[in-house]
Amino acid sequence: MKKTPRNIAAIFVALAGALPASAESQPEITMAINQSPWLNSFVAMVDLYEAETGNVVVLDVNPFGGLLEKIRNSVRSTEGTYDLVAVNSLWLSEIYSGGFLAPLGDIRAGYALQDGILTYGATTNWDPAVGSFSPDGTLMGVPVNGNVQVLYYNQAIYDDLGLSVPATWEELYSNAMAIADGTDSYGFVPRAARDSIVYNFTPYLFSHDAAFFRVTGPGQAEIGLNTAEGLAALNAYLRMSGEDVAPPNPGAIAQGELIQLLSTGRAAQAIAVIAAWGALENPNESRVAGQMSAALIPAGPGGTHASSAGHWVAGIPNNVPAERQAAALAFLDWFQSQELQVNYVEAGGVPVRGDLADTDLGANNAYRFLDAYSANAENAVMGLPFAAAAEASDAMALHFNRAVIGEESAEIALNSAAEALAGVLERNGFAVTRQPDL
Amino acid sequence: MSGRRIAGRVAANGVVWGYAALIVLPTLWVLSNAFKYKIDIITGATISPITWSNFEQLLFSRQSHFLWNLFNSAVVGVISTAIVIVIATMAAFTLGRLRVPGWVRWLILGWALLFQMLPTLTFVGSWYVMWQAVGLHGTYVAVILTHVVHNLPMGLFLMLSFMSALPNELFQAARMDGCSNGQMFWRVAFPLVRGGMIAATALIFIFSWSDFAISLALTSPATMTAPVAISTFAQEYDIRYGEMAAGTLLSIVPALVLILVGQRFIVRGLLAGAVK
Amino acid sequence: MNATITHGTTARRNRRWLVLSLAPVAVFFLVLSGFPVLNLLGLSFFNVEWHEGAANFSYVGIENYRRLFVEETIYWAGVRNTLIFAVGVVTCQMVLGFSMALAVNRAGSAGRTILTGIFLLPIVIPPIVIGTMWRLVMGREFGLANSLLRALGLQEVDWLGNPDIALASVMFVDIWHWTPFVFLLMLAGLESLDEEVLDAARMDVTGFWQEVRHIILPLMMPTIVITVLFRIILSFKVFDEVYLLTSGGPGTATEVINFSIYRTFFRQDQVGYGSAMSVVTLFAITLMIILARGLLARRKGAEDAE
Repeated sequence: MKKTPRNIAAIFVALAGALPASAESQPEITMAINQSPWLNSFVAMVDLYEAETGNVVVLDVNPFGGLLEKIRNSVRSTEGTYDLVAVNSLWLSEIYSGGFLAPLGDIRAGYALQDGILTYGATTNWDPAVGSFSPDGTLMGVPVNGNVQVLYYNQAIYDDLGLSVPATWEELYSNAMAIADGTDSYGFVPRAARDSIVYNFTPYLFSHDAAFFRVTGPGQAEIGLNTAEGLAALNAYLRMSGEDVAPPNPGAIAQGELIQLLSTGRAAQAIAVIAAWGALENPNESRVAGQMSAALIPAGPGGTHASSAGHWVAGIPNNVPAERQAAALAFLDWFQSQELQVNYVEAGGVPVRGDLADTDLGANNAYRFLDAYSANAENAVMGLPFAAAAEASDAMALHFNRAVIGEESAEIALNSAAEALAGVLERNGFAVTRQPDL
Repeated sequence: MSGRRIAGRVAANGVVWGYAALIVLPTLWVLSNAFKYKIDIITGATISPITWSNFEQLLFSRQSHFLWNLFNSAVVGVISTAIVIVIATMAAFTLGRLRVPGWVRWLILGWALLFQMLPTLTFVGSWYVMWQAVGLHGTYVAVILTHVVHNLPMGLFLMLSFMSALPNELFQAARMDGCSNGQMFWRVAFPLVRGGMIAATALIFIFSWSDFAISLALTSPATMTAPVAISTFAQEYDIRYGEMAAGTLLSIVPALVLILVGQRFIVRGLLAGAVK
Repeated sequence: MNATITHGTTARRNRRWLVLSLAPVAVFFLVLSGFPVLNLLGLSFFNVEWHEGAANFSYVGIENYRRLFVEETIYWAGVRNTLIFAVGVVTCQMVLGFSMALAVNRAGSAGRTILTGIFLLPIVIPPIVIGTMWRLVMGREFGLANSLLRALGLQEVDWLGNPDIALASVMFVDIWHWTPFVFLLMLAGLESLDEEVLDAARMDVTGFWQEVRHIILPLMMPTIVITVLFRIILSFKVFDEVYLLTSGGPGTATEVINFSIYRTFFRQDQVGYGSAMSVVTLFAITLMIILARGLLARRKGAEDAE
C-alpha cells in the first residue's frame, strides 16, 4: 500500500548510510527484550551505540514468560509499539510465517548479514513457499544473542579420574559410569522435564542421522522419528537418564534443577545451553567456578555431531514507520562487527559470530568456552522448522517424558510421538509420509 | 470448667499455633533468601553469610525500578478495589434485598459467574485490542478499569452473601418507618455489612495487587506493577531467587500495611458515617 | 429539596435507586467483558491463522470440539487431575479456614491480631513467587523439606519428581496458599453473627460442637456457599503454582485444565482450539457447582430434619 514513501525513505536511508557513522542521526527506537542473564551485556552494547552515534535505543524489558505475548500484541495491531523485537528461537517460525516482520532487504535494498555471523541452521532466513527456514529464503532478522547446547563437564573430576573428553555417546556413557562409581556426583544430568525434553533430545536424534521430520518438497514432509535411527537415539537418551548414571526421577529435571546440580558439584556432566556458563563461573552462584569446561556434543554412530539452537534473533516489524525501521536496522548492522562482538563477550554476552576464538579472547582462560561454542554452533539445528513448532514440541514431549519415567517403552513413545507430529503437520497443510510403527 | 474442657482448649490452641508455625516457618525461610547469595540458596543453607546485593540489584540496578513498580501496584490496587467495593456493595444490596425483575438478577449474576469461570488469560488479547483502539493502552486507566471488571464478579457475590445473611426483620421495620431504598441501604445495610466489606476489600485488593496476566499485557514500562517486575527474575536460563525474595519482602510489607491500616480506616469511617 | 416526601416521589426515588445501583456493574460488564467473552465463545468455532500480518478466520464448525473429544489426551488427563485437585483442596481449605476462623474469633484481642496477620501471609505473596519458592523448598536434593526429614533421620521424599505424589505436593502448596481466603471470609461471617440471636439459640444446645453444628453453620450458610463456589472456580483455574512447580509433569501427573488451555491458547497460539477447551471447562465447573450445591442442600435438609 504505502510502498512509494517507504522506497523513498529507503533511498534516503541508503544515502545516509553512505555518510560516516557520526553523521548518522536516527530517530529514537523501542526494543522489546526479556530480562535475562545476558541482558546486562546487551545493555552495555546499547550504551556503546548511544555514545558512539548519539542515537537512542529504549529497551522495554519484560519477563521471559510474557515477552512473546507482548510481541504478538504489538506486531498484530495496526500500529506497533515496538520497532525492534527480540525473538526466541522457539517463536521464530511463528513470527516469520505470520508475516509480521519486514524483510531486511525491503528496509535497505540488498541488505545482507556481515560475514562471520552465525545463522544457527539458516534461522535468519525464511522461505514462505516451503514454510520453513532456508538459506535461500528472505533475510528477516539478525541474531542478537547466540545460544546453543554444549556438553558441560567438570574438569576437576575428569582430571581426578583420568577421563578424556568423549567423542561418542558410548564414551559419554562410560565417563558417566566412571564418575558415578568413583565419586559422590551423578555421572550425567538429562534435562528431561516435559517442557525441556524435546530441545534436550534433539542433539541425540540428529547425531544419529535421524530427524523429527524432513521437508521433502513444498508442502510435503516425511516423518523420521519412528525409525531404527530414531530408536537408537532415544535409547541413547534413556541410557543417559538411567538410575546408574543420572539422578532419580529425571523426568522432573528442568533447566533450573540441571544448573543447580552442576553448580553445586552434585553432577559432573550435562548437555545444556552455553548461556548457563556465566552462572557456573560466578563464585556467588556456583561451587565449581573455574572447574567447568565445555566441549562438542558427542557424535552418533555415523560420526555426525548435532546441537540444538536456542538463540535470539531481532526482527523489525512491518507496522512501524519507515524511518524507525531504518533506525532499527542501523543499530542491528552496527551490532555485528567482530570488534563489537568481542566487547559483547567481555560484557558477558554470548556472541553471534563463530570467528571470535581467533581474537584475543581465544587465549583468555575466562573465555575457554568459545571453541566449544563455535563448534557446536556450526552443528546447530532447528529441530522443528515450521510454524506450529510449539504445538509439535508439546505433543511429542509428553511421550518422550513418559519413556523417561517408564510409563511408555521407547518404541511406543516414538510411535505415539510420530503420530502426534504427523497430526500437527497435516493440520498445518503438509502432505505427510509416515513410517510403519516400530 | 471441667478437666476435659481445659484439655480440649489446650489441644485447640496447639493446633492453631501449630498451623501458624506451618505458615510462618516456610515464609521466613523463603524471605531469608533475600539476604543470601545464590549458591547458599540453591544448596539450601539455613545459616549463611549475609548480603545486601539482592536489594542493591532490585533497587539500584538500571533495569529495575522496583519502588516505582510498587507505587504503580498501590495506585492500581487501591483505586480498582475502591471502585469494585462501592459498586458491588450497592448492586449486591439491590439484588439481595430489594424486589428486582427476575431476568435482571439472572442476567447480572449469571453473566458474572460465566465471566468468572472462563480463564482470564484467554481475555487479555481482547483487552489489549480494545484499549489500543481507544489509545489508552499502557495507561493507569486501562489497567485499573480492567482490574475492576475482572474482580467485580467476586466482589458482587461476596457482598451478596453478606447482604443475604442480614436479618430480614430490620429491613421490614425500616420499610415500615417509610425509608426509601437509598435510606435503607445507607442506614441499615451499609453499617451491618462492614465486616464483610472489610474482608471483601482485603481479598479484592490482594487479587489486584498480585495479578500478573492482565498487568503484563496492559502495562507499559511506566505503569508496570510489582508482580510483573518480580516475575522478570524467573528467567529463561536462571531463576534469581535472591532478588525474587527481596522483591517479595518489599511487596508484602506495603500490602499488609494497606490491608491492616485500610481496615482500620474503613471501620472508623463507617462507624462515623453510620446512623443507627 | 422538598422536605415533605410524598408517596409518589418515594416510589420514583426507589426506582431511580434500582437503576443507579445496578447501572455501574452492568456498564462495566457490558463494555469490558462483553467482547472478550463473546469473542472467546465465537472463536471456538474458528481456526485462526496469521498470514502477511493479518488474521485469517476460517469457520470450522464443531471441528475443534470433535478434536477435543476424540483426539486429545493431555487435556483430559488435566480434567481428571483438576477434579481430584478441586475436591481435595476445597475440602481441606474449608475445614482448615473455618476452624482457624473459629479459633481466632474466640481468641483474645492480642492473639487475634497476631494470628490474623500470620494467617494472611500466604495470600499476599505473589503466586509466581509461591510456585518458585515451594519448588525450592520441595527440591529433592537441597530442599528445606528433605533437609528436615534427613535431620529427623527419615527417608527423603521426591516431592515433585515422583509421579505418584507430585499432585499431592501441588495440592499441599495450594492449600497452604489459599486457606487464608477461606479464613478471612469465615472470620467476617462469624463476626457479623448477631450476639442476641446466638445467645438465644445457645439455650437449646449443649456443648461447643452442638453449637457449631446446629447454630453457627446454618447461620453462616450464605457465606459458606459463596466461599465454596469461589474456591471451586479458582481451583479449576489454578495455573501459576503448577506452572512454576511442575509444569504439569512428570508425565501428566500434575497436568491441570488451565495449564492445557494456556499451552494451547497461548504458547501454541491455537486460539480456536483453546477456546473450545475453555468452553468445555465452563460446563465442567458448572456441573461441579451444581453437585456441590446439591450436597450442601442435602446436608442442610438432613440437619433441618434432625
